[in-house]
Amino acid sequence: MSFFDKYASLIPVLLIYVVLFAIGILVPGMWQPVAFIMFYITLGQAFNIFLGLTGYVDFGYVAFLALGAYGMAIAVESLGGANLGFGIILIGLVLAIVMASILSLAVGAVALRLRGAYFAIATIGVNEGFRYFVEGARIWGGSEGIIISGAMRNIFGRETANFISTFVSDILVFIIAILAAIVTVLIMNRKMGYALMAVREDEDAAKVMGINVTKYKVMAFIASASFAGLIGASAWTLKMTYVFPSDVFLITYTVEAIVIVMLGGAGTLMGPVVGGLIYGILKYYLSITLPGFQLIILAPLLVVIVIAFPEGVVGALKRKARGNARKYLR
Amino acid sequence: MMPFFEQLAGNLVYGAILGSVYGLSTMGLSLIFGVLRIVNVGHGPFIMLGAFTAFWMFTLFGIAPVISISVALVLGLALGFVVFFAVIKRLINAPELSTLLATFAIGIFLEEVAKFIWGPDHRGYSWDIGSIDLSITLIPYSKILAFISSIVIAYLLYMWFQKTKLGAAVRAVVEDSEGAAACGINVGRIYALSFAIGIGLTVASGVLVTLFVPVGINPYMGHEYTLKAFVIAVLGGLASPWGAFYAGFIFGLIENGSYTLLGTIPGVEPFSLTRFVAFSLLLVILLIKPTGLLGGESK
Repeated sequence: MSFFDKYASLIPVLLIYVVLFAIGILVPGMWQPVAFIMFYITLGQAFNIFLGLTGYVDFGYVAFLALGAYGMAIAVESLGGANLGFGIILIGLVLAIVMASILSLAVGAVALRLRGAYFAIATIGVNEGFRYFVEGARIWGGSEGIIISGAMRNIFGRETANFISTFVSDILVFIIAILAAIVTVLIMNRKMGYALMAVREDEDAAKVMGINVTKYKVMAFIASASFAGLIGASAWTLKMTYVFPSDVFLITYTVEAIVIVMLGGAGTLMGPVVGGLIYGILKYYLSITLPGFQLIILAPLLVVIVIAFPEGVVGALKRKARGNARKYLR
Repeated sequence: MMPFFEQLAGNLVYGAILGSVYGLSTMGLSLIFGVLRIVNVGHGPFIMLGAFTAFWMFTLFGIAPVISISVALVLGLALGFVVFFAVIKRLINAPELSTLLATFAIGIFLEEVAKFIWGPDHRGYSWDIGSIDLSITLIPYSKILAFISSIVIAYLLYMWFQKTKLGAAVRAVVEDSEGAAACGINVGRIYALSFAIGIGLTVASGVLVTLFVPVGINPYMGHEYTLKAFVIAVLGGLASPWGAFYAGFIFGLIENGSYTLLGTIPGVEPFSLTRFVAFSLLLVILLIKPTGLLGGESK
């Protein structure tokens, strides 16, 4: 494959991001819905790096989002007086990645030895266990959480703090989405991508062929978790300016990530983008027209997808696409 | 020091009683995994349905929970057949990911339907028939009846498995589904039946659970029991309903024992930390002996 062929699939994805960004900036009143949809696309992109590329489902994914959210909150709270300006956000993002990847390394080292059902059970346990640890041992504010709105106003002043929570946090989500797409393609085009494809098809066979299965699974897990941490730090802490354990460990985000990836097509670059678009638009308008009914509609939708379209929208399109079109759809 | 031991002893008695209900509530999960090799990730919401059955039978008709068990069992069996033929049957040969996602979605759907019909608030009822004084602690008769009911149901199921032809067929499918098919057992029908019995048991156990929830029941109460059931099922070897029943006792003892011990540490919330202990236990067991502490088969 030529260089262009390898990376051609990035073009439509980035194009969609540009169009969304343009709509948000140019059309009055559209920034909020665009940011809302973009959050789900990004969540799907991040989750896809693990679920899509390895075929393992992590029911405790939201724990990484939560740790990222805490990372940012801790940075702002403890370094608020240090006069770092925007540097504090950078530190928060780094801390979010560090904390999410440490947890993912710990969980991955234990849980990724397990397969299928056992892995799923272990990951549910990690999320809940961690939440109860935070609440029970009263670390990071225990069940009262951390509120950073005051610290943000002290550091940046009222107007800039407002600007960060309503605009900068959304821009960060866009940047994370771009980075996640690039990382996904980089993995797909490297030995790691092929190794993971082999794991997905037949893990035992891959092992026999001498592929270090655990290593690649853990790498994908950490990459996926780091992006989740970044999303938690920007789309949660910076936007909401508070972190409560009962909110950030909510299993709903895991479900949403699964639905988006499965809807669009697991293991494809375009899948989470299409899934996130459909899901984001659907949810945005459902929450206006039928508030409180999202899950009652989504749950049967997920069952239908699993039974009738296990490959998702992009997976099905990819099978039909021929020749040139195919390299743009990966 | 004496009051501490008295409290510990009292909590352990209570733990054993609660453990019998835990055991019963996990048997369905293990049965379904043993026969169909499917983990019902939406296990808890079925317990919630049983809890609401008990609540409505009691508040509308004044029927005691011990009698509602049979109603819940029948409802659960029916629901189990519906879910099996609507969803599970189509996923028997699908990758594991599909059944995990589907059962997860079914659980969420049940919760949301329950919230839609009954609202999200906690509801409770009180079935007070007096209590017995064990000098170290006071145990209500209702909880003792729950304890006896769990053991009776588990024993009846055991007899059904051991003494009837159908029970033997289920055991044969657990052992080797292809071999069972070769011997003329209709494996598809055994799948349907086992799934329905598994759900039936789970819904029935929800009735007994209501006798132990201090804050009342609500549509989302199931989560907690899904997670506990996982820990218990893994303790018991995941594929064995009897292992699960015994593991329920162990879990009840550990949970209530550690609650008493953690309560002595200042500055922590023992209630949350108890749950943390449970999940740590889960991870440790999965790491050192994924086939369960109580034996279980090798895969």
